[in-house]
Amino acid sequence: MENWLAGLINPYYEQVLMMVGIYIIAALGLNLITGMCGQLSFGHAAFLSIGAYTAAIMTRNLHLPFIPCVFAGGLMAALFGALLGLPVLKLTGDYLGIATLGFGEIVRVVFTNLKITGGAIGLAAIPRDTNLINVLVFVVLTVWAMSYLHNSRFGRALAAIREDEIAAESMGINAMFYKVQAFALGCFFAGMSGAFYAHLLQYLNPSDFGFARSFDILNFVVLGGLGSIPGAIVGTAVLTLAPEFLRFVAQYRMMIYGALLVLMMIFRPNGLLGGVDFRRLLRRRRQKAAVAGN
Amino acid sequence: MKKFRVAIILISVLLVAALAAGCGSKPSGQSGAGGNAASGGDTIKIGFMGALTGSEASYGIETLKGMNMAAGDLNKAGGVLGKKIEIVQSDHGSQLSQAAAVVQKMISQNHVVAIVGDPTTGKTKLAAPICQQNKVVMLSAGAVGPGVVEIGDYIFRDTLLDSVAAPAVTKYLVNDLGWKKVALVTSTNNDYSVGLTKIFEKALADNKATIVDRESIQDGDKDFSAQVTKIKQSNPDGIIFTGYYTEGGLFMKEVRRQGMNLKMAGGDGMLSPVLWKLGGQAVEGSMVYTGFAADPANAAPQTKEFIKKYQAANDNKLPDMFSAQGYDAVMLLARAMKDANSIDPSKFKDTLAQTKDYKGVSGNITFLPNREPVKSPVYLLEVKNQQFAIKKVIPTAAPTE
Repeated sequence: MENWLAGLINPYYEQVLMMVGIYIIAALGLNLITGMCGQLSFGHAAFLSIGAYTAAIMTRNLHLPFIPCVFAGGLMAALFGALLGLPVLKLTGDYLGIATLGFGEIVRVVFTNLKITGGAIGLAAIPRDTNLINVLVFVVLTVWAMSYLHNSRFGRALAAIREDEIAAESMGINAMFYKVQAFALGCFFAGMSGAFYAHLLQYLNPSDFGFARSFDILNFVVLGGLGSIPGAIVGTAVLTLAPEFLRFVAQYRMMIYGALLVLMMIFRPNGLLGGVDFRRLLRRRRQKAAVAGN
Repeated sequence: MKKFRVAIILISVLLVAALAAGCGSKPSGQSGAGGNAASGGDTIKIGFMGALTGSEASYGIETLKGMNMAAGDLNKAGGVLGKKIEIVQSDHGSQLSQAAAVVQKMISQNHVVAIVGDPTTGKTKLAAPICQQNKVVMLSAGAVGPGVVEIGDYIFRDTLLDSVAAPAVTKYLVNDLGWKKVALVTSTNNDYSVGLTKIFEKALADNKATIVDRESIQDGDKDFSAQVTKIKQSNPDGIIFTGYYTEGGLFMKEVRRQGMNLKMAGGDGMLSPVLWKLGGQAVEGSMVYTGFAADPANAAPQTKEFIKKYQAANDNKLPDMFSAQGYDAVMLLARAMKDANSIDPSKFKDTLAQTKDYKGVSGNITFLPNREPVKSPVYLLEVKNQQFAIKKVIPTAAPTE
């Protein structure tokens, strides 16, 4: 399977595509927390790293099969997400953002000082189990799960909390219960994404999961359009591919990347696909066609 | 709605342009030659892996300078095996997550036969498995940490290892400076320091010096009065400090404040002007070892020439360790290719491994059977009038296990 793929796609593009897929999983997780439920999180990279280290240590030291380790990484991240969410989700807005930011730093420092994670030297010799196929399968699964959640009772409850928490509470929605669930679930996807990340790069270093990385993921979601699943996917793809394909301009690369962000926010403050409802667009087109037909 | 359309068009144009350029552009090397596979073309492609932007940019830029100088020298002399050397440069922006893509790109798009880099141990460890799997030689011109060459038989480095340098320095300290009783200070939250302490412990034991006091500090500490008081009680001949320059400078200040006239010695973690900016007069006479020091007066002939050429091209600035090691890396690869009479990495990796007593600009280089380098000499620098001056050039020997 791998050989067949290698003949079809250049390993460099394969590497970049896998990275996009991995980030999409993480971004969709954050989209659930920030986009759908309206809870600001600046610590998403921490959950990514929890999943990454958990899965990497399991495959590297215990020689367990890869896919169960991906789920284990996700579950570990979800566990910490729930543990953090319980006290922290009582906060709202900026305060929540700062609390999650603090947690992100704590996780990084803990990983720097733990022996099992290799400390500041990092964790090397992780088997390369990530391939385009298993990443694709998980991206599809994640997208399916997210759109299922989006249109479920759970998703509507999250939307209600996002729009007005007090109103939602008065309608009988246990906001805390749903928020913690959404937070843990978002972290679960971050953890899985981290597991793939670890088995793609084969090397982990705590310094790689700092605040900047959390911010990157938040960027993906905000640029794509908060709360929009296709938006998160497009945002991730654009922001991951742009620096990669802008390599030919060398030093100006990050400048153009920044300019792209600024332009975006001027022309589309709601994000690329924020507020765009594909179903409604389709319906309208059909209606127009029907009118034209008459 | 109109704004939206404008933005969409703008972004798609940008993206398409980027995509087209990304796919279409041939490897952006120095000579700009065509993109044939290395074995078929008339150039030999050597990749540079490192940062040209971001926090590690200074290492990368210097390494690349050295590599380009080496390629220029080789090409002027007719190239290698009748082919020109082309340096394919890249930039991972000091980010781990981009490093893998960069290496993969050089291997699969530019078809490099060897990669020089990364200057840091972490990113070398990330890139090494990719090179090993793709059978491309990797020669790091900066990695000093453990667990690098163990990754595979295509992985090399040309740096001075602490396990080679520290014993040689210890021998000098004990035998020539008479440090029979030593206080050993470790920064326990600094991996480099913890590792270096272990090497010094063994070296001190081998040279029959006694460690009369062991003190622990932490990176970020400001107050060392307790540790220094204890050192005072044990009355050592000198202090070996394995941490970084910030704590080193402050530590010596406290030593002088408590009225001791001891000197300190340590590794290249203290190789920074910050040492005397913080320590002032207290660090006068403190010693730091390093693998390369630009010393136009006493250097070997090839090093002298390198320094001269580097200065001519860089406004009289003196070269540092990274540019010298980058230069040597390309020269070592070229030599191995000549010896193997092949630019097939699976062939010249073996001749590279046999490198023995190569007179490089950063010192003499020998690869041990496990591909670890032994470099000689090590330069022991001393702070003199708030400047580093060469105190002693010490020849090294292969580590004894």
